[in-house]
Amino acid sequence: MKWLLFLGVFMSLHSQNKQLLYGFKEVPQQLHLNPGGQVDYRGYSGVPLLSHIHLNAGITGFSAFDIFADDGRDFNQKIREVSYSMDSKDFVVVNQQLDIFSAGFSVNTSLEDKLFVSFGMYQESDIFSYFPKDYAVLANEGNHNNLNRLFDLGQLSVSAEVLSVFHLGVNKKINSKWTLGVRGKVYSSIAQVSSTDNIGSFITIPGANNNLKHVFDLDMKLQTSGISSLREPNASNELEVLKKRLLFGGNLGVGIDLGFTHQPAPEWTIDASLQDIGFINYSKDIKTYILDGYLEYDGIQSVFPQIVSGQTAQDYWDEVQKDFEDLVEIDSTTTSYTKWRPIELNSSVSYNFGRKLDKECNCLDQSDPAFQNRVGAHLFAMKRPNHLQWALSLFYYRRFYKNLQLKTTYTVDEFSFTNFGLGISAALGPVQFYIMADNLLEYQNLAKSQSVSLQLGFNYIFKNNEN
Amino acid sequence: MKLRSFFKKPLSLILAIGLCFSCVKDTDFEQYDTLTINPIMEVSLVKAQEPASSFVDSSGNQLSSISDQVVLDVFTSDFVIDNLIKAELVFGIANSIDNAFQIQIDFYDSTDMLQHTFSIDVDNSPTNTPLYTEHIEVFENMNLSALKSTTKLEITINLISSSGSILTPDSAGSILLASKGIFYLKISS
Repeated sequence: MKWLLFLGVFMSLHSQNKQLLYGFKEVPQQLHLNPGGQVDYRGYSGVPLLSHIHLNAGITGFSAFDIFADDGRDFNQKIREVSYSMDSKDFVVVNQQLDIFSAGFSVNTSLEDKLFVSFGMYQESDIFSYFPKDYAVLANEGNHNNLNRLFDLGQLSVSAEVLSVFHLGVNKKINSKWTLGVRGKVYSSIAQVSSTDNIGSFITIPGANNNLKHVFDLDMKLQTSGISSLREPNASNELEVLKKRLLFGGNLGVGIDLGFTHQPAPEWTIDASLQDIGFINYSKDIKTYILDGYLEYDGIQSVFPQIVSGQTAQDYWDEVQKDFEDLVEIDSTTTSYTKWRPIELNSSVSYNFGRKLDKECNCLDQSDPAFQNRVGAHLFAMKRPNHLQWALSLFYYRRFYKNLQLKTTYTVDEFSFTNFGLGISAALGPVQFYIMADNLLEYQNLAKSQSVSLQLGFNYIFKNNEN
Repeated sequence: MKLRSFFKKPLSLILAIGLCFSCVKDTDFEQYDTLTINPIMEVSLVKAQEPASSFVDSSGNQLSSISDQVVLDVFTSDFVIDNLIKAELVFGIANSIDNAFQIQIDFYDSTDMLQHTFSIDVDNSPTNTPLYTEHIEVFENMNLSALKSTTKLEITINLISSSGSILTPDSAGSILLASKGIFYLKISS
């Protein structure tokens, strides 16, 4: 359990968009976002556990400040206002990634040809939930004044998972215009909970034989894996079990990332990647809870036993009670299931300009011929159970020295229209440090922020000899 | 050195942004402790449909009353005891029998002690057209405690023999009873 708590702390702090890291050539972890990114170093080694720490939390519809502000207003009134201003498309997302190790090196396949091979392992946690609006209304108001209103119980859509991923990628610069890459992944799911394909409703309508008729229609499911064995009272050595699952002992899956970078001209760069085209097959330690039933109820029939002997209202009541018990009876199964990973798309178009000039000769500084500036637009999209999560960023990248690069972004997404981010990569000799954070305007008061994304890490870079 | 001092600046800027100026201000997360929701649930209760002939025994004599009872543990459940702050039981009666009735509802606890009772007077319908009567019984304070100890409900339909005509197996009309409960809940965190 300690481990779960530990992971929980990490999770409590994330949207999966890494607009600052994407395309940041000097930071090797950009290859995790686009295996076909450009590489201009011989190799790298991430500092174990410190090469990539990523936290991202986002919520649409409101910020913590909206409800927890110390403004003297009635808390319950604020909760009501917020829950009524939201709808069932609003969502909350928490994502965390931690590189356990990562490294890469170039391999000469022939005198001219080079392949860049990178590999590593990271741990990831992901929580995603839509806002079940109708549940909130029902909890706030009840069915009073809501006759004939259908409460959509299928709005409950929530998933959470902790997994480890081992990956191996190859990246090849085909020519001066094209770089292609592919990364294979093996997922090991440590624990997974999801309830996403629910159908259900509750409605109260005028009845024929009584004032009201209540209709319940439930087809709900909660799938879990890796949880039930830990919940057993005599579960021993949870730490050992979790460690084992981290190292391919969990429910396994496979996937690939694909990507490319295209430079039709030295000034222009077009790149794109698809991440996590893959699935996990859940077959170990499965427990699926099923709530499936239909019930119409319009009251207890009173029969007055003087008239019809044998049956009383009691029998009807007992029947009603049994009907309700059957309705809410939860069946459980251990059938295995397969789930697709949430696929992610990244793509950007950028323009490079401003090469460094040598002041003495007024010619191109041959020691650093790279473009010093880059501006562009970046699109991120990710498949969620009922919609496509998206973000659009404009960015400016500036190379100050070979050892210092900066990138700023302005991002529009479902969380906010005022998201400014800043990323920096700095090197001291071969040791490189990077830190990237967005929503900087909100850092003065994190409670007002609807999303926070932070990445940082340390790498050891083996530069190209010519550098 | 120039390089190093330059790089110190943005780095410290980021650290400053990240560590010093980032905070959570003017908030009070303990407000969560005051979270309450007040849903109002409407639930169908008892229903009955009795023709005039129901009030006549097998030898054709008019009965003085008929009754039925239900033993239930809903009102004494922990959820109701903790969260119910008010209840209204709404009864609607449509009588088209030419006889007046008194409908009596008794609430008993688990030791069969009467906790609460009320009755509803229903007029006779000489022309056998339905006459509507509505009654709302409100449970608050003392009444509410009585409701929360109720484990048995008895419903009795008494005939007021001085009214209307004497009922026979062929008498026209029926008495319909519909009811619902409106339950005011207060659920706290």
